[in-house]
Amino acid sequence: MSASLPLERHREAVAAARTASLGMWIFLGSELLFFGGLLMAYLYARTHWPQGFGQASARTHVVLGTLNTGLLLTSSALVALAVACQGPTGRGRWVPWLLGAGAALGTAFLAIKGWEYRSEWREGLFPGPGFALKAVAGAELFFVLYFLLTGLHSVHLLVGVALLVAFGRGTRKKRAWAAPRRVEAAALYWHFVDVVWIFLYPLLYLVNRHG
Amino acid sequence: MAETHESAGFARRARRLLLAWVALIALMLCSLGSAYLRLEPWNAVVGLAIAALKSAIVLWLFMDLARAGALVRIVAATALATLVLLLGLTQVDYRTRRPAPAPLQPAQQLRTPSGALR
Repeated sequence: MSASLPLERHREAVAAARTASLGMWIFLGSELLFFGGLLMAYLYARTHWPQGFGQASARTHVVLGTLNTGLLLTSSALVALAVACQGPTGRGRWVPWLLGAGAALGTAFLAIKGWEYRSEWREGLFPGPGFALKAVAGAELFFVLYFLLTGLHSVHLLVGVALLVAFGRGTRKKRAWAAPRRVEAAALYWHFVDVVWIFLYPLLYLVNRHG
Repeated sequence: MAETHESAGFARRARRLLLAWVALIALMLCSLGSAYLRLEPWNAVVGLAIAALKSAIVLWLFMDLARAGALVRIVAATALATLVLLLGLTQVDYRTRRPAPAPLQPAQQLRTPSGALR
């Protein structure tokens, strides 16, 4: 049935937006459980080797971790503002710039994370032969989980940056596929990646800073 | 008239997002500061409680759960409940079992064709 009447067209658009958002939420639910396995491993290991986790966590770069947390929180706010600019607010021209700024902050996060990995590799904190904290029980397990969790998170962030760049370009050129409902779904994904980091920050960087 | 109404709505929403961002950054700094205080065993609890509060702000205002329909809320709640259930039930297993390491086989040594130990 073709929706030729304005009211019908409007109803169809509303239904499509709801479906897109619901689909993304269901996907994010499965993503939560995807990270859940690693979180379970972390919970088990931390409760069994609390000292080792404390000592190992003290070796992470808390300044870079905090800076990265700030970058992600800010990018999320910008992307949320981009979604708010859509529709009949008359601020549609801001959308590509806000999405682009969000993607730029995400890229900065990845660059800092890469720098962090490099210095951790040099300090011998990568698990394996020559691991610097071999004598501390549980420390190597902490860094196994650190690299797995942050690595998995970075892969998600990379996908998110690609989405934001694509939708930034799409909305700037007013492409039909860059519809508001899709931008909204991409934004949901971006916020989810932010939420994962919100939990990784205290779990990985702040275990034992007072010791 | 309609345009000014939309404009006011947008301004309100933008202001709310700005406040949320300020709150998130402030909470991040609180989380960082609390980690340097000796609160054992509450350091981890405080860190996770602040993380929970921050994600609630992101979920509620950025991901618009505040304005979402019942179906989306049910999906979000189900995902969270499933995670808690799986983490909880796995913990039950670890907490109630006596660790019983498998008896290890003695290390096997390989013999070279000449019969010498390698």
